[in-house]
Amino acid sequence: MGKVRRISGCVAAANAVKLADVDVICSYPIRPYTGIMSELARMVADGELDAEFIHGEGEHAQLSVVYGASAAGARTFTGSSGVGVTYAFEVYSPISGERLPVQMAIGDRTLDPPGDFGSEHTDAECCRDQGWIQGWASTQQEVLDMHLIYYRVGEDPRVMLPQFVCQDGYYITHILGEVDIPDPSQVKEFLPPYKNHHVLDPKNPMIIGAQIEPAMGPPLQYQRYQAMQAVGQVLREAHEEFARIFGRRYDPFLEEYLTEDAEVVIFGQGAHMVTAKAVAARLRNLGEKVGVVRLRTFRPFPTEEIRRRMSRFKAIGVLDNSVNFGISCNGGVLLSELRAALYDFGDKVKTVGFVAGLGGEVVTHDEFYRMFRKIQEIAKTGKVEQTAYWLPFEL
Amino acid sequence: MSTGSNLFAEPGLQQITVWARGVVMNKDARDIVVALAEAAAREGKYVQAWENYVDLPDRVYVPVRAYARISTDPIESKYIYENETPDIIILVEETLVKGVPVLRGLRKGGVLVVNTRRSPEEILSFLGDTGNLETLVTVDASSLSTAVTTLSGAEGATDATGIGAGIAAPLAGAVVKATGIVSLENLAAVVKNPEAMRRGYELARVTRLETKGAAQEVAVSAGELLKQLPFAGTVPSPVSENEGMVTGNWRMQRPVLDQEACTSCDTCWIYCPDSCITRTDEGPTFNLKYCKGCGICEEVCPSGAISLVPELNFKD
Repeated sequence: MGKVRRISGCVAAANAVKLADVDVICSYPIRPYTGIMSELARMVADGELDAEFIHGEGEHAQLSVVYGASAAGARTFTGSSGVGVTYAFEVYSPISGERLPVQMAIGDRTLDPPGDFGSEHTDAECCRDQGWIQGWASTQQEVLDMHLIYYRVGEDPRVMLPQFVCQDGYYITHILGEVDIPDPSQVKEFLPPYKNHHVLDPKNPMIIGAQIEPAMGPPLQYQRYQAMQAVGQVLREAHEEFARIFGRRYDPFLEEYLTEDAEVVIFGQGAHMVTAKAVAARLRNLGEKVGVVRLRTFRPFPTEEIRRRMSRFKAIGVLDNSVNFGISCNGGVLLSELRAALYDFGDKVKTVGFVAGLGGEVVTHDEFYRMFRKIQEIAKTGKVEQTAYWLPFEL
Repeated sequence: MSTGSNLFAEPGLQQITVWARGVVMNKDARDIVVALAEAAAREGKYVQAWENYVDLPDRVYVPVRAYARISTDPIESKYIYENETPDIIILVEETLVKGVPVLRGLRKGGVLVVNTRRSPEEILSFLGDTGNLETLVTVDASSLSTAVTTLSGAEGATDATGIGAGIAAPLAGAVVKATGIVSLENLAAVVKNPEAMRRGYELARVTRLETKGAAQEVAVSAGELLKQLPFAGTVPSPVSENEGMVTGNWRMQRPVLDQEACTSCDTCWIYCPDSCITRTDEGPTFNLKYCKGCGICEEVCPSGAISLVPELNFKD
C-alpha cells in the first residue's frame, strides 16, 4: 500500500501518468481536464517527472504530436474535454489505425452550445467507434488505477490500441477523494516499458499512414477489428495482475452492487452511479430488491458479459448522461447498445432508458428514486409504455 | 412521484460554506475548507472539500464560494455543486455582508464568522433579517496574517504553497471557538501558521442571537424552467444595463468624487472598464449598481479628485 491522500481526479490522473513514467505529454487547456496538465507541468518543472512537455496550439495539434511521438517509440499522454475532444476528431482514427497506444484523459464536458463547463458523456462517446478503448471511472481512486491498467492493455502486443480514460467533469475531476497512490516499484512490476515493434527510426526508414488501394481495406480494417476483439481477454489478465500487485480488485467490465437477488437494476457509467448506489442501498432498507450495474468498459462494449450476467433481471433501467438526438428508442447510446446486446432474450428482460444530468446537472437522489420506481413498475406490469424518459421533464 | 420523505436524510452531515473575493482571496477560502476537512479526517470523520465550480474561473473581486462537508457517516450526497443548507458560513472579507445573499439556506442554529474589525452590531445592521442565524463571530483575521494570492491549486491541482499560511488560519481558529467542529490541536497540525490560528481562536468575539427562523425557498419546477428558457438559449443583448449580471456587489471600496478638485477632464470616464461613469454638468457620476470598485478611476485621475472609501462606511 502506498500513500493515501485526498486529491482531485485531475491530480489522480497526473499521478498515474507520472507513475507510468511517460515520455511525451502534449497539452492544451480546456476545463475541466486542465488540472491534469497543470499538475503534470508542475511535476516536470519540479523534476519529479522526466518527460517532454509540449504545449500544442490546439487539440488537433495535441493528438498529432502524440501520434508522431508514439510512432517514434515514446509512451505518450494527452487529454481534453468537451469541444476540445471533438476538435481533434480527425486524428483518432489514424492513431488507432496505425496501432499506436496513445493514452488520452477525458474530463467530460458538455458540447457547445451553450458554453457550459458541466459534464456530459457526449464528448467521448462521439468518438466511440474510432478504435479506441474507452472506460469511465467513478471515483478518484479508480481514475488513477484505470490509467495504469489501460496503458498496460493498450500496449499489449495482442492489442496495440489507443485509450480514452474518462472521468466526469467536476464531479471527479474537481472534487477531492481519498486515493491510495501506489509505490513506483509496484507500478514497475505491473507496467512493463513500452515497446513499439514498428518504430519510426531514421536508420530504418518506414512510411506510416500510406495511401492504399481499396483491396487492402478489408484486411487492414479486419486487423484493427481483431485487436479490439482481443481487448476483453487482455483486460481480464491485467485486472488479475492489478489485484495481485496493488490489492484492489475491480471487475473489468461490470461492477455489480446489491444485485445478488435483485429483480431490477439501473445500468450506467461514471460518477452518477455512485449516487445510484446510495439510493439503491436506501431502497434495500425498505425491502426493495433493487441493484446497480456499473459499466466500466464502454469500448469494447462487453456484449457477452452483459448477456451472461444481466439477462437474469426482470427489468433494467439505463441511465444515459449524454445526448444522442434521433437515436433508436429516444434514449442514449447505452440504452441502444444494451438493448442490442439483450435482443435474443426478447421480452424476458424489459429495458427502459433515462436521459438525465444533462449540461452537468446533478442527478439527484430523488431522480434515481423515481427511476427505480419506474423500473419496478415495468417489472410488475410487464408493460413498457415509453422506451425512454428525459428527466426531469418526463419523469 | 417524489419521495417526499426523509429517505435520503444525512443527519450526521455538517455543511460549511466560505465566501470570498475572486482571485485575491479564493486561495484563502479554499484553505479554510481544506484545513477544516483535513482536521476532521484526523478525527475519523468522513470529509469532503471543494470549490464552487460555477463561480470559477473567477474574476477579480467576484464573490466566490468554497465548501466543506464533515460527517459521522459516509457521505452519500457526494456529487453535488453546492452546500444548499449550510450550518456554518464564513466570510473571508467583510463587504460580503452587503448585497450578497450569504445567509441563504442557513440551517437553524447556524453560525456566521466574519473577518472584520467592525462591531457585531454594525455587521448585523447590514445583514438585515438574520433568519436562522444563532451565532455571529467577528474576528480581525487580516491583522493576524496576510492573504495569500496564488494560482497554484486552481482547477483541482495540488496547491504547492501549502495550506493555511494566510488569513485562512485565524478564520478557521475562530470557527473552532464558536463551534468546536474540530479540535484546536488537529487544526494546528494541518495549517502552516498555527500561531495565527490560535490568535484567531483567542480574539474571536462570539455573539449569540435569537433565532428568528427563515422561510423555506420554493424551488422552480422543471416545467417552469422549460417554459422560461428562450428559444435555443439565446440571451437578449443588454443595450444599456444587464439585469442578469449586476456587479455592484463585487465592490469592496466605493469611488467618491471631490467636486472642488474635479476638472471634468473625463479621464475616468475614458478608463472605466465597465462604462460605469456618466458625464454630467456636475462632473462624473458613478453607477454603483455595476461599479466593481476596481479603483482604476482613482488611479488615473490627474487631479486626485477621486478617493476610494470602504463600502461598509456607507449604509446605502
